Formats: sequence, C-alpha cells, structure tokens
Amino acid sequence: MAKAIGLITANYSTKFPSPLTDSRPAASIPFLGRYRAVDFALSNMVNCGIRTVGMVMPYNYRSLIDHVGSGREWELTRKSGGLFILPGSAFGTSRTGSRFLLRDLAHNKVFLERDNADLVAVSACNWVYNVDYNEIFAAHEASGADITVLTQAARDKDVDVCSFDVVDGRVKGIKHGAAFGDTAFLDCFVVGREKLLELLDWYAANDYLDLFEALAGDYDRVNVQAYDFEGYAAPIFNKDTYFKANMDMLDPKITHELFSVRPIATKAHDNQPAKFVTGAKVSNSRISGSCRIYGTVTNSILGRGVVVEKGAVVDNAIVMQGCTIKSGAKVEYAIVDRNNVVPEGTEIKGTEAAIFIQAKA
Amino acid sequence: MSKKELLAMLLAGGQGSRLYDLTKDVAKPAVSFGGKYRIIDFPLSNCANSGITAVGVLTQYRPYLLHSYLGTGSAWNLEDGVAILPPYATQTGGAWYAGTADAVTQNLGYIEMNDPDYVIILSGDALCRMDYADMLATHKANNAELTIAVMPVPWEDASRFGLLVADETGRITEFQEKPPVPKSNLASMGIYIFNTDLLINELRLDDANPESSHDFGGDIIPKLLADGRRLYTYKFEGFWRDVGTIASFHETSMELLGEKPSFDLFEKDFPIMSNTLSLSYPPAYFGPDANVDDCIVGNGSKIYGDAIHSIVSIDSVIGKGAVVKDSVLLPGAIVKDGAKVINAIVGENSTIEEGVEFGSADAGKDYAFCGNNVVIGKEE
Repeated sequence: MAKAIGLITANYSTKFPSPLTDSRPAASIPFLGRYRAVDFALSNMVNCGIRTVGMVMPYNYRSLIDHVGSGREWELTRKSGGLFILPGSAFGTSRTGSRFLLRDLAHNKVFLERDNADLVAVSACNWVYNVDYNEIFAAHEASGADITVLTQAARDKDVDVCSFDVVDGRVKGIKHGAAFGDTAFLDCFVVGREKLLELLDWYAANDYLDLFEALAGDYDRVNVQAYDFEGYAAPIFNKDTYFKANMDMLDPKITHELFSVRPIATKAHDNQPAKFVTGAKVSNSRISGSCRIYGTVTNSILGRGVVVEKGAVVDNAIVMQGCTIKSGAKVEYAIVDRNNVVPEGTEIKGTEAAIFIQAKA
Repeated sequence: MSKKELLAMLLAGGQGSRLYDLTKDVAKPAVSFGGKYRIIDFPLSNCANSGITAVGVLTQYRPYLLHSYLGTGSAWNLEDGVAILPPYATQTGGAWYAGTADAVTQNLGYIEMNDPDYVIILSGDALCRMDYADMLATHKANNAELTIAVMPVPWEDASRFGLLVADETGRITEFQEKPPVPKSNLASMGIYIFNTDLLINELRLDDANPESSHDFGGDIIPKLLADGRRLYTYKFEGFWRDVGTIASFHETSMELLGEKPSFDLFEKDFPIMSNTLSLSYPPAYFGPDANVDDCIVGNGSKIYGDAIHSIVSIDSVIGKGAVVKDSVLLPGAIVKDGAKVINAIVGENSTIEEGVEFGSADAGKDYAFCGNNVVIGKEE
C-alpha cells in the first residue's frame, strides 16, 4: 500500500487576468519552453512514489486535459490508482486567489474515502520547484502535526503569494501577500487522509472559503507546522514573476537542481532536435526541440517549434511554441504567446520594468 | 488478433560489427542517430506512416537496450504493437537465427497468428523515408508474388551490390550478387513484400534444405527466380543510406545538416517518431559565449563553447573553450573545457577530458570514434 495519495488543485484562477491566462488555466501555462506549470506538481508527487493522484480541474480545462491526458508521461496509467480527473467548482463559483477551496475538496470526498493511504499530499500548481515529499512526510510524522505546510522565506515582495505567521515552527495565521523574508506558503501541504476528511466535515458550512482561511480561528486547535524548503522555488502567479522565473532557467545551477536531481516529466512530443544554420547567433538562451534558428537569439527562452528567420532578433524574451519571428523582426522584453507570426520588420518591444505580452494568436 | 493486410517483420538482430565500439554494448538498430533518435526509429516510423499497425522485431545481438526502447510500440503509434521476437526454444530444441530467412522461419507462428495477406521484410539498420503502402500498391498492381525495393546506384559502384535485372515492366529476370560485370544498376535494398502463402511455403522448403544458408538474398530470391515466380522491382529514388560503417554513419549524420539537407528531419508529411517518454530534459542551453554554426542540438544539452557543423545529441555538453567540429556527439557525451573534437564520433555518455584533441582536421585520416561510457584522456 502506498503511504500517500496526491491531490492537485489545478483550478486556481489568477486575480489579475493577463493575456496568458485568458485562454488557459494557470495550471497549463507553458514554462521553460517545453513544460507546463502542472508538470512540477505532478512530477514531484510521482517522484516520491505516489501512484494515485487526483486533479481538481478548472472550468476551462481543455489545454490541461490535452497536456496530462491519461497521465502516461507520469507513469499514472495504472490498473490500481493512477490519475483521477476530479470536477472542480462550476464556472462562476470558484473564487479567484483561492488555492484550496473547501468546496472543491468536499466535492471530491469520495476520492479521499476510497483510498486507505495514511497521508494526502496536496499541491496547487502555481510554483516551480522540485521537492522530495518523503522529507515532508518524515517531518510531518516526527512533529505529529495535523497539517505540514511547505514554506520558504520570500525572496521578493509578492501580492499573490500567501504567507504564514509562524511561531516556533507552528502556524498561527495566514495572510494574502508576502513581503521580503516572510514565511511564504509554497501552496503545498501534507495532511492525514482522515484528518482532511474530518476538516472537510467541520467546515462544511463554510465551503466558500479556502481551507487555510477557514482554519484562521482554529490555528490553536489544529496543529499546522511549517516545513522550510531549502531548494529553488519560484512563484508564477503573474506576468513579472512568470518572466523572472523563466529567466532564472538561464542559470544552469538552478536547472540542474530543478530537472536533473529528480526528473520533471512532461507530455512527450515527436519534436526534432533544434536546428541552427550558418549565420545563427545564440547566447545565454534555452532553445526547445523543433526550433529552427537562422537569426539571433540572446537571453531568451524559446518554446517548441519556434522559427527565428534570418536577420530576426530575439532578446530578453519568452517566445512560446509555434511562433515565427520573420526576417528583420525584433522581439525584446516581451512574452510572445503561442502561434504568433511576428511580421517582417516589426518590433515587439517592452522594457525591463514593463514586459510586453503578445496574446496567443 | 485481427486479420491484417500487411504485417512487417523487421530484422534487427545484426551486430553491426563494422561499427566497432559503437555496437559493443548495443545492437546496431539501437545505436543513436540524428540527435535524439535511434536507427530503428526510421523503419518503425516508415511503418507507422505507411499505415502498418503490427511489427515483429527480430532481435538477437545485445538486445536489452533495444527491447526496453521498443516497449509496446506505442511510441510509434503502432496500435497493434511491436512484438519482440528473439530466438526461442521448442520441444525439439532451439537455435540462434542462422540467417535473415531463418529468423523469419523461426517466427512463422507469429505471422500465422496475425494472418496477413502480405508480409514486408525490413532491415532495422538502414536509413530511409519510404512509403511501404505505395510499394504494396505496386506489388498488387503487378500481381506480383514478391516485390523487391531497389534503388539505382552509380554504374561504377554497381558491382558492390546485389543487383536485380528487370524487364521494362519491372519483372525481375536475373539476380546478380556483387557481379564483376553488372547488367543492371538497380541494387536491392533488402526490403521485400511477399504474398504470405508463398513466403510461408518457401521458408518451410528452405528450412528443410541442408544446402541453404537461409538468407533472403542468397537463397530465397534465386530459387523463386529459378521457379519462374512473379518477382517485381519497386524503384525507390529517395534518400536511403546504410549506416553500417563508421564512415557512412558519420557522413550520413552530416547529411542532416545545412539549410536544405539531403535528409530533412523537419519534413512534415512523413515525421520520424521516437520513444521520448523517458527523455524529459529541459531545452538546450547556450552559454554566454556559445557559438553554434550549422548544427542540430538535442534537448538537455549544454553548449558553452563552439559547435560547428555537428550533431549535438540530447544531454551532451560542450565545455568552455571547447570546439566540436564536423563531429557527432551521441547522447550524454561530454566534451570538457578546452577539448577539441574534430571529424569524430563520441559515444553515448563518453567523456573527452579537458584539453584533449580527439580526431583530426586532416581529411586524409579516418574518422575518430569511441564507444559508449568511455573516458578519453590525454594519453590516448
């Protein structure tokens, strides 16, 4: 019997709509060219031996289902256990900003009741990190906590990140927003399966709240312990943090930690290796499969199948899958969403302080 | 098991001894090629792109990697799957595959189980893009019993090949194995479509013949010709390369490069598929001083130095100040800082130590190569 099952709440919707999340849930936002945000939550669970994962779906789930499919890439196509697609709140009732809406969890009590694992690992998918759940399980058992939350001292001020008041390792309260150095919540926690069911019953009348909001008056009664994560973690809630986290991937030390120690799986595609012709110039960049580079790419992240024509320049930019940057065009301090063709001679230009977003074509 | 029109039998048991250390640990069809592929991806993709749904893969030499790579065949969208067919024992004993025909003879049960109308025999170690459905259409149009894919070769090289002499309708009149005086320049590609009944019948006869070397080219085809059977050619004019030697492996790799390569991996109509399920590397990284000129580069690789006119496969590394030129780095190869790799093939997960020069710019010299999992230091 596996010790834990996983539950991913993929139905978080952003508070500040951006063109990147107009057409897709935050869980399936592309990251580092070939990944999507959900890959981290899913892979982290699978890497520590979890073989039963429920995923609470957002209302606009097309791209997410397309990506995770039957869970094959995460070895979740199984006879026992595997990937469970769970319904989320109906359109219009999900609250923005809530990661662990009680109603979504209560909807899916059957998923929790049908397994007999001791623990449930619960994660949203708005963060990029590679964590070993076995360490959290061990801390959870050692401390005898009801809930163990994954935290890290905030590296930046971020209004979208939640943070905890923590006294001697025990959580006393939660607030929206994190200032530098606050105990940021990495939107991941471990809880006893039966304890979670019990909490869902307790708060059944307040199911419009987030679990941690519902706990607000009860932190003395419910023992919530913080577990400090020492590795690289980056939130990707909004345009600026999303851009910054992608650019962090230009540091091979970070990508080594994130992708090489325990693998992050993603949907497999039959992409060719990237191709570079004579005259191409590429530096400090990440280039995905099926890209064809004839021009110049610097300080950028390119998704699958991007074509940068002769004389085109991409600098300090994220260019997503299937875009073509035509000859003489220039993309700078910008995020170019999928399938855009940037015409000859055009400039798509933001600044370091104000990254421009070109919506999906 | 449902009836199939065309079943593929893919001969993948060869050692590929002329690839030396590249096939020390793996069968030739499992050797990496083209940045992220293995040689067997090409015939398997052809099968899938031709509408074939079931492929029997005959394996024998060093099969572990090949077997695990093939899996169920779902990576190539083969809905009836890949059947891995190594030699096996029966109540009357068992034996290694003695020849190409013997390998198929020992697996006639697999063919009978699938009950196809036609069987296509493929080689697991050549590189081409070929529509087997078109070949089958030709086979049917000719009302042939056996169709052999042929390609025109230069007349001056013709005597190195098994040649087929055909009349104006494509009917084969004569087979010449490496003749001193060629009567034809149509070389056999080792790709055959048989009517299933004929194949089964002939293989049983061949099996019982103690004189036979149990080879399609050497025994089966000459006998069918002598019997007056309807043998036809299928002329193939596209890209086809045997990658069986170090030189042809290197040169064919280089043919993937350039703006208009002879073999274009990016051709959309006939995609090359591979088993990428286990390959979740991040996109290739290019350092601040990287220089990449006329290359293909796989995911997970890290380039800090110069990559010129080369294949940089998945998960390989080119260190600071290192130069890789006119070379092939197989997956996981590491070229450390300041090393130079020129006109060479570096095996999977092998390392060229700092400052070492591997290979030579001298065009008169043979290509340098090393096998998998080796370290090339200063003293070698």
